[in-house]
Amino acid sequence: MNLILIPIILPIVSALALLLISERTRWLKELLAIAASIVSLLAAANLFLLPAQTLSYAWLGGGISFTLSTDTLSAFLLLAVSLFSAAISIYSFSSPNKGSAKWFFFNLLMTQAFAAGAALSDNMVAMLFFWEGLLVFLYTFIALSQETKAAKRTAMKAFLINAVTDLCLLTGVVITGYIAGTYSMSEISHNKLTLDYGWSVFAYVLLLIGAVSKAGAFPFHTWIPDAATDSSAPFMAYVPAAIDKLLGIYFLARASVYLFTLNGTMQLVLMTLGAVTILVAVMMAFVQKDYKRLLSYHAVSQTGYMILGIGTLNPIGIAGGLFHMINHATYKSCLFMTAGSVERQAGTGDLSKLGGLFRAMPITGLCFLIAAAAISGIAPLNGFFSKELIYKGTLDTGYTWFFIAAELGSFLTLASFLKLGHSVYFGKRPEGLKDTKEAPFSMLLPMMAFAGICVAFGFGARLPVQWFISPSLEALNLQHGLLFGFHADKLYFVSVIVILAAVLNHMLGLAAGGGKADKASDHIHYAPVLKETYALAERRVFDIYELAMDKVVPPVSYALFKADRFFDWAIDTVPSGVTGLLSGASSRFHNGSYPLYMALTLAGAAVYILLVGGFK
Amino acid sequence: MDKGLLAYLLIPLFTAVLIPFIARNRPRLADIFANVTLLAGLVNLLWLALRPSVIAGGFADIPGDALSLLLVAAVYLVGLCVTFFSAYFMEEGLPNRQAYYSLILTSIAAMTGVVTTGDFFTLYVFIEVLAVTSFALITTDDSAGGIEGAIKYFFLTFPASALIMVGIAIFMISLGSLSFDSLRVYMSSDMPDGPVVFASALIMLGFLIKSGVVPFHAWTPDAYQGSYAPVSAHLAGIVTKISGVYAVVKLATLLRFFDGRAQALSELVMFLGLLSIAVGAIAALRQTSFKRMLAFSSISQVGYIVLAAGLGTPLAIMGAVFHLINHATFKTTLFLNSASLEKAAGTTDMDKLGGMEHAMPWTSWTSVIALLSTAGVPPLSGFWSKLLIILALWESGLKTYAVLALLFSIVTLAYFMIMQRKVFFGRKSPAAERSSEVSAPLLAPAVLMCGVIVALGLLFPYFYQYVKVVAERIIL
Repeated sequence: MNLILIPIILPIVSALALLLISERTRWLKELLAIAASIVSLLAAANLFLLPAQTLSYAWLGGGISFTLSTDTLSAFLLLAVSLFSAAISIYSFSSPNKGSAKWFFFNLLMTQAFAAGAALSDNMVAMLFFWEGLLVFLYTFIALSQETKAAKRTAMKAFLINAVTDLCLLTGVVITGYIAGTYSMSEISHNKLTLDYGWSVFAYVLLLIGAVSKAGAFPFHTWIPDAATDSSAPFMAYVPAAIDKLLGIYFLARASVYLFTLNGTMQLVLMTLGAVTILVAVMMAFVQKDYKRLLSYHAVSQTGYMILGIGTLNPIGIAGGLFHMINHATYKSCLFMTAGSVERQAGTGDLSKLGGLFRAMPITGLCFLIAAAAISGIAPLNGFFSKELIYKGTLDTGYTWFFIAAELGSFLTLASFLKLGHSVYFGKRPEGLKDTKEAPFSMLLPMMAFAGICVAFGFGARLPVQWFISPSLEALNLQHGLLFGFHADKLYFVSVIVILAAVLNHMLGLAAGGGKADKASDHIHYAPVLKETYALAERRVFDIYELAMDKVVPPVSYALFKADRFFDWAIDTVPSGVTGLLSGASSRFHNGSYPLYMALTLAGAAVYILLVGGFK
Repeated sequence: MDKGLLAYLLIPLFTAVLIPFIARNRPRLADIFANVTLLAGLVNLLWLALRPSVIAGGFADIPGDALSLLLVAAVYLVGLCVTFFSAYFMEEGLPNRQAYYSLILTSIAAMTGVVTTGDFFTLYVFIEVLAVTSFALITTDDSAGGIEGAIKYFFLTFPASALIMVGIAIFMISLGSLSFDSLRVYMSSDMPDGPVVFASALIMLGFLIKSGVVPFHAWTPDAYQGSYAPVSAHLAGIVTKISGVYAVVKLATLLRFFDGRAQALSELVMFLGLLSIAVGAIAALRQTSFKRMLAFSSISQVGYIVLAAGLGTPLAIMGAVFHLINHATFKTTLFLNSASLEKAAGTTDMDKLGGMEHAMPWTSWTSVIALLSTAGVPPLSGFWSKLLIILALWESGLKTYAVLALLFSIVTLAYFMIMQRKVFFGRKSPAAERSSEVSAPLLAPAVLMCGVIVALGLLFPYFYQYVKVVAERIIL
């Protein structure tokens, strides 16, 4: 078998094999899933090291062939997808609360396979096939992670939001393919489309909606915080934190740089979308009182940085966006894993009930500190470097406002992680948590690995940039200059100011909240104007899904119901009534009377002869 | 007269004469003679038509116009099913057992004569023979319903004979000949419409009355319902089709409807066909008696054949011939099964039956197959013939007719659904509790016919080839 097929076929086969294994076996399912994902990871690493390959099968005809290709960007993405799959399957080995183990690993492996397929597909139709497949497993993943009704509801919410945006993507792909005359992305890139006329703008916007919605950007993000409460920590660490971001940003980069040549307006649209996503989500994250829910808003907020980076359209910004994509997946996965560990060991994720766990869970705490520092952009961890690249790219475009918005986002990010870290790992430990112990090794291992990556990609930022980001930019046909290195320029000082401001803010909040860390955000939460806004947001007034479900869906479905009743009446009641009348009349007529029959026959014959004889 | 097929006329006639003498003291011999005669004839016909070499040759070796052979085979097939069924169905003490078989064989001989003859007078003679035997057969069991049916059949169809006689007389005067070919030649010449076309129209009217086309249909329900049970299968399955519908199809080809000759007549025939389809289907919806519903369904199905005949294009004629054969298969099955039902459950009232599939699975499922074929459900044979007819209508630009024909085919499905639910499926009725499956010999004809239905449907390409040969030879 071709090596390129292993990361796709192997997980599918293993996932199907998993279903055959009895639910009662103890380690078999876990070990099979871990083995499959590790073998896939090795294959992905091998593919990454080999020169680019292409595997093409004739499919569907008419220029639509099933083409998988490992250009450097796709190979990098495949490697990342496989890495996270392997890490999460190891982490999930002893994680509770993930629902039925069989279905969990089935969904995990299926998601891995389809994500790998989407990453490798060169043909957009093939990519859509895998992309839409992910939607199915997104639904089952959430729906089967908990037994509750809320899980089903959130699963449906995630499914519907993504189904609508995937439909946009589908339409966009069809239009793009029609305009370009081919569905092969590499062929389109030789002769990029421009946004000079309406159809191509429409196509690009549809592709954009599909991509940013997969990445979980505003306003398509609303299912993520709900999933944080209604599904499991491994799911959050895997899908919204890693896989979705990777694929969404990957395709955003492909569409924005590889397939289309964007103009200034679209650049502004993208950067605005990024900045709004950063600010709205981080404002929400800042006031959350639940470990996973807080993290989930950050998962949305960080997407804003990546979109902002890609929206700058200059190599530095795009490099920053891609670098941030992989960095974010690393530390956010790590953070969700710490959330899962804390939940497993302490039994809750409610910040007001946690505290002082650093002594009890030193490794988890340490991993949290590293990842939190990385997400807040503290030098010299990986988040710092990718954010610096994005800031630099943003400043290069000349739109200073976006830079300020991004820095403001950074400030609130750090502030909220100060609050989170303080209230979970430091301060006074509640009575109920006296006996809390460190999480098991299988959970610590991937966590430590990711924390290690955060440090390594920070101190050795040169390595990932040289190995992953530069080749990716080359795959996108971009020329670029030096992308790494530490400069103590004004950007660095701005970041130091932001850190100081966040610490000050935290102390202010602590003082205002009576020394309770989980109340450190209340001075902003309950500030005038913001208080009312937050109250509305808590009531989901800004959630397009809930809005649509409340305001649009009931009248539409009522109208459709009425239309259906009408058609029912028209095709059921009316014809049967009419035929009933007619057949009733005919049975009354056929009464067996011989003279009547004879008269009918003779009259019929007479009319017949008259007609044939030419009488009109 | 097609000399090659004369034996198929003479042998049953000979047996019919023989039976009263041979079986005088041993009535069972009558069964044996009748069945053996028909079986031998059928085997012979199958050998003629279905030898591998003939099939491989695209049926080019079929003697005559191929239509005669096909119809003789249908006559023999239905006749065999009816006699075989009767042999086990008739009560032992029935006084006129020998007469019954003689009449059946005579009617088969007459039908063979009808489909093989080449001139109008012979046609008329055989049709009258057929009518007389039918009157007698209907009253086999001396029931009041049978006698009423026979009288209605006789009185309501006698205008037909008169009209045919008048038409033949006009032919004799204006054409000087009664052969089919002289009419064909006349119609292909450039002569203006005149007495010949009028005479054809009268003859056509006679045959339309005999086919039971609306508004001349009033005798059919009573005749079919009242007649002795196996005879109703014989009558509905083949007799009225040969005595009426076959002649309509034949006349339609002779009058060259496909050339646009006798336009007014063609349109009128098509209209009557559609009217039959509609009235038959709508009237069938409300019937409560199994046999009466089948009778109205028969009117509706005859409408399809007449409609196609009125159109007269090669495709339509192919459809008409195919539907004629199909009608013989499924109507025979249904009427024989209704006889079985009557025997087992004691009634054919659909309100009293129900859940019969539990008590009589073979009868029920063969009926369901026949019903589905009648309603035109693929891949059964009835689907293909209706498809050909509707396609032919559509191709000729008669879209309204095509759509209406399709719509009423849905109504057909509707009334058969009603029948299926009321009679065969659903909760077990007291009648179903009482009754049990009839014996295997009574089932054999229905099973055989179902086999033919399924085979014709699945092997449609071969049959299509055959019907194409027919259409090529009769439309020359």
